[in-house]
Amino acid sequence: MKKESFLDKAGTRSVLASLVAILIGMLAGSVVILIVGLTNPSLGISGAWEGIRLVVGGLFATGRDTVGNLSFGFNPASFGNMLFRAVPLIMTGLSVALGNKAGLFNIGAPGQYLAGTAASLFVALSVPTSAVPAWLVWIMALLTGMMAGALWGSIPGMLKAYLNINEVLACIMTNWIAANAVTWIFDSSSLKNVLEGTKSGYIYKTSTVINDVIVDGVRTVAGTNIPEGAQVLSTRGGVATAKLGLDSLFTGSQVNAGILVAIVIAVVIYILLSKTTLGYQLKACGANRYAARYAGIRDKRNIVLTMALAGALSAAGGALYYLSGNTEFFWNTYQSLPAEGFNGIPVALLAINNPVGVIFSATFMSMLQICGQKLTELTAYNEYITNVIIAVIVYLSAFMLVIKTWIGKLRKGKAVEK
Amino acid sequence: MDHENDYVIEMLHITKEFPGIKANDDITLQLRRGEIHALLGENGAGKSTLMSVLFGLYQPEKGEIRKDGKPVKINNPNDATALHIGMVHQHFKLIEVFTVLDNIILGAEDTKLGFVQRKEARKKAEALSKRYGLAVDLDAKVEDITVGMQQRVEILKMLYRDNEVLIFDEPTAVLTPQEITELMQIMKGLAKEGKSILFISHKLNEIMEVSDRVSVLRKGRYIGTVNTGETTTVELSRMMVGHDVQLVVDKSPAQPKETVLKVTDLHVASRLYKHDAVKGVSFEVRKGEIVCIAGIDGNGQTELVFGISGLEKCTGGKIEINGVDITHAPIRKRSEAGISHIPEDRHKHGLVLDYTLEQNMVLQSFEEPRFQHLGFIRFGAVRKYAERLIEEYDVRSGQGPITVTRSMSGGNQQKAIVAREIDRDLPLMLAVQPTRGLDVGAIENIHKQIVAQRDAGKAVLLVSLELDEVMNLSDRILVMYEGEIVGELDPKKTTVEELGLYMAGAKRQQPKKEALA
Amino acid sequence: MPFLIRQTLIYAVPLMVVALAGVYAERSGIINLALEGIMIFGAFMGVLFVRTVQEWGWFQAAYDAKNYLTLQGFCALAMLFAAMMGAVFSLLLAFAAINLKADQTIGGTALNLLAPAVVLFFIRILANQNTLNMYKDDAASWFMLKKSMFGYGRKEEMNFLGSTFVDKVYVATYICILVFIVMSIILYKTRFGMRLRSCGENPQASASLGINVIGMRYAGTVLSGALAGMGGFVYVLTTANCSANGDVAGFGFLALAVMIFGNWKPGNICGAAMLFGLFKCIAASYSTLDINGDGVYLLKNLNINTNIYRMMPYVITLVVLAFTSKSSRAPKAEGIPYDPGKR
Repeated sequence: MKKESFLDKAGTRSVLASLVAILIGMLAGSVVILIVGLTNPSLGISGAWEGIRLVVGGLFATGRDTVGNLSFGFNPASFGNMLFRAVPLIMTGLSVALGNKAGLFNIGAPGQYLAGTAASLFVALSVPTSAVPAWLVWIMALLTGMMAGALWGSIPGMLKAYLNINEVLACIMTNWIAANAVTWIFDSSSLKNVLEGTKSGYIYKTSTVINDVIVDGVRTVAGTNIPEGAQVLSTRGGVATAKLGLDSLFTGSQVNAGILVAIVIAVVIYILLSKTTLGYQLKACGANRYAARYAGIRDKRNIVLTMALAGALSAAGGALYYLSGNTEFFWNTYQSLPAEGFNGIPVALLAINNPVGVIFSATFMSMLQICGQKLTELTAYNEYITNVIIAVIVYLSAFMLVIKTWIGKLRKGKAVEK
Repeated sequence: MDHENDYVIEMLHITKEFPGIKANDDITLQLRRGEIHALLGENGAGKSTLMSVLFGLYQPEKGEIRKDGKPVKINNPNDATALHIGMVHQHFKLIEVFTVLDNIILGAEDTKLGFVQRKEARKKAEALSKRYGLAVDLDAKVEDITVGMQQRVEILKMLYRDNEVLIFDEPTAVLTPQEITELMQIMKGLAKEGKSILFISHKLNEIMEVSDRVSVLRKGRYIGTVNTGETTTVELSRMMVGHDVQLVVDKSPAQPKETVLKVTDLHVASRLYKHDAVKGVSFEVRKGEIVCIAGIDGNGQTELVFGISGLEKCTGGKIEINGVDITHAPIRKRSEAGISHIPEDRHKHGLVLDYTLEQNMVLQSFEEPRFQHLGFIRFGAVRKYAERLIEEYDVRSGQGPITVTRSMSGGNQQKAIVAREIDRDLPLMLAVQPTRGLDVGAIENIHKQIVAQRDAGKAVLLVSLELDEVMNLSDRILVMYEGEIVGELDPKKTTVEELGLYMAGAKRQQPKKEALA
Repeated sequence: MPFLIRQTLIYAVPLMVVALAGVYAERSGIINLALEGIMIFGAFMGVLFVRTVQEWGWFQAAYDAKNYLTLQGFCALAMLFAAMMGAVFSLLLAFAAINLKADQTIGGTALNLLAPAVVLFFIRILANQNTLNMYKDDAASWFMLKKSMFGYGRKEEMNFLGSTFVDKVYVATYICILVFIVMSIILYKTRFGMRLRSCGENPQASASLGINVIGMRYAGTVLSGALAGMGGFVYVLTTANCSANGDVAGFGFLALAVMIFGNWKPGNICGAAMLFGLFKCIAASYSTLDINGDGVYLLKNLNINTNIYRMMPYVITLVVLAFTSKSSRAPKAEGIPYDPGKR
């Protein structure tokens, strides 16, 4: 048997194809920036150049120096935030990747993400930490969130398996139902943030300590400053993901142990898919549902199971993000769906549905977001350019196979020349 | 003009290559005006490729096509149509949801201001149908009419375009013997009206009956052209395969023992749930015999197998394996009860094409303790097992057990399935068209394996559309017609002609139910 | 009652047109999951067009001269422009799906991500906020027919037909209905339509009859884009405060559901769209809905949470799909890339 060179391996070619997709995506974003810059006199070519530099290297941007030029260097806050924001993307990316492996396009990640967020926030802010230790509440919240996501994901799964309804359409509908349901639940809940009355539409951070108190016979809530003479009934909240010293490594950032949890889950999913009989079944269903059924594999059960697992993964993304304790949840979700859910699609596609690859592609996506943020902060451009780049990458992923063939041909052409 | 040399179509020295294969290698074919010219060859001999070249679907690397003596270039079907060349494809090119009329005019519509003029078209179609005796219902949807009528629609499509060269690509494969006779008459009638016909087939009897001349292809090469009147089936078959074919399978008489499979009054719904595709079928298969279900495609054989294997739900009746009722058992349970299954469609059901060969070898058995431990796959055991099967059954592939099955040849894919199913060593084997689309060598190999299974005391239920296979391989023949078993025949005591009558529904024995009662 | 009919029509008509957009693509063999994105893009382009024309001042001049016909002409032009831009945008899908044989679901999703991203990027640059209005305060409402235009006074009421089909109605709605009818006839009665439909069922057969499958699929996708782009603009004009904000709240996907519910047939789609329009209308305005005109707000008095009404269209879509999916018959070749070599 002829030994394949490194560059001829299918895996290498897949990675190369992803890199080409990223490159073209970045290029497209830069072109848009350039065009806007050239047609906009207040930006001009220098403005455009700043924009392009930030799109590519925004992670290393440290602001502007005294003369007003962009300065670059190691920015621990950006690095930490990149890792922090990668967490939900890893989880939704895994969710979409798992679906793809089993032949299901899980575009329902946003709804599952919301379901997980809502359920975990509810548990985290309702279970009295005066009775149950905070770490246990944290675990309970995460697990409840994942269960809620699994339940939500299994709805389109069941519709697909038993009624043969296109999962894409079913997922979209459940997304919007979730968006409205979450608004409804929090609208009628007591979790709206009334202690820090500055912003409306947000609920408490999970780290907020809420005391249910009775003041002058009236039941109310109080923060850490309990009014005098008040009777404390119970204490809620104060739940947050452990930092494990990561915050001191990346000062000024929101990073916490959530990233480690996400990486562990990714590895577990990798093992599940490639080493177990369950993974063998799920992939067989995805590659050829008829052959799987012929072989006695229960394809319908596997479809529901896949969607439930995918739902749990997306939900864990939402839970890990908001249980960090330093992010607030905007509950008026009925108007728009969380971008983290949809971004699971490019993350999974870029990783070619490889769970370990998802860790890297999610980190890349999260880096793009940091770049977008810097772009908004430092120039007249805005963060939506990163969404353009992501969309271009998804577009290219749709014909990844063609790109791979091109790379293959390029290699063959060279081989002939030798 | 000398009639002998009045060629309407000449294909000279045509060469067409596909990646890795020369489908046509220097082939010359000359079609006289008003003749029926048969093109004979095995599956994969290059007949369809040659016709696709003539019809403009493929461009040849080398060679020349002449129409009425003048060189022409046919780049697409439009060019072919302009030259009045028409083709009835092996798989009909019909739009199922359109009416017959719309199908006839599609691509050759007369319009006013862009609007289709259906009234005029109807008149023309009706006239043609009357003139050539092609009865069709112009307002019926194609999905609702019989295969025979669909073929008449295809012929009308050609006539509607005033074609003079008509290509028939394996037109009889899906027809009953009676429909075939009818088609032969129609073809003769067309030739008499001055149309020139190219008739592609690998069925010698039909060629002997209808054609004036025969050209033979073998493995992409041109072997020769003979006048039908001056040749015999034996000579043609030798030209086709290159050596004397051993049409008889070597096997000793069957020695059936206890019943393995017992089917009683089985009903299975058709895919569309409109009616039952299998209507009250009863039979038994015993240890050490090969029972063959014969019949024209689409008479419920597929559904019968789906009902037994569990791919389709049974709507009534009873199925027993060694006395165990499995009528409503899930597929896995049936498998465990003792059914192995070589499926009809190896790409749809038989293999996960994107899986490697070794992964496909354990498609049903991956959950057995020998291949897994606590849910984790024992990769070493799987590899060893696959290597043994590859060795024993001579499955050839590029990279052995780690070859992705999609990249394997059809014959080796089928061998892999046969290896897997035989090695499961179960009392009943369902083999559905196990040799479809394979070359002679592979067919011989698979036939031997099936007979060996029988001799090892297995019960075999074979479903086949090939009459040769039915007659040679089986110990008993059950003929299915419109969802019922209409006859049980002994291959040693019956003839192909008699079998044909049963298959066409022209003859039937007393229903078995009454015989039992 | 007039209000209910009028509002239902306003929701149903864009839905109908966008569903027909889906039909054109799918009947030619391309799954157009990008309807949502194309709507967003078309809406933005239409709004931008109106905004730009207003800046040139012609608009104000026509309004001052009470030249309503010219105003409606501008509106029609904006629709045309949105349609053209939708068509251009859909070329991205056509190219990927037809030339590159891409996965159509992923391709469509990419467009659904791309449209809001591009649109919001430019809106932020143009307007320095997240919504782009049609410029002047109530300028967009100039496109609405009002009873005052027909000489009715403020206190005067039009008769039932008038108040249902004329007062507070958009000419755009009627243009859409007309386009819907014309496009439906083209699909069924013309050579072009017949050939297009054949490509979604059995492209190999079409090719064997000399039909240019690739051309037909391009035509189907581009027309689909045009209809969806126009639908998107009409949607924001009539129901979304005349502003583009990179979102049409899943309307494109609802249209897909309407298409499936309508079994890919224009007549059925029309009925399905009315049903969905009614629910959308109830969701949007149940609190001010006085069904029989007796001054009692029945639905409001039921005291059901707003979010439930908002959820309704999506829940009903799922329920309807659950009941109809068994009998629905999608074009046979949709979603399968056409490969001329395969027979």
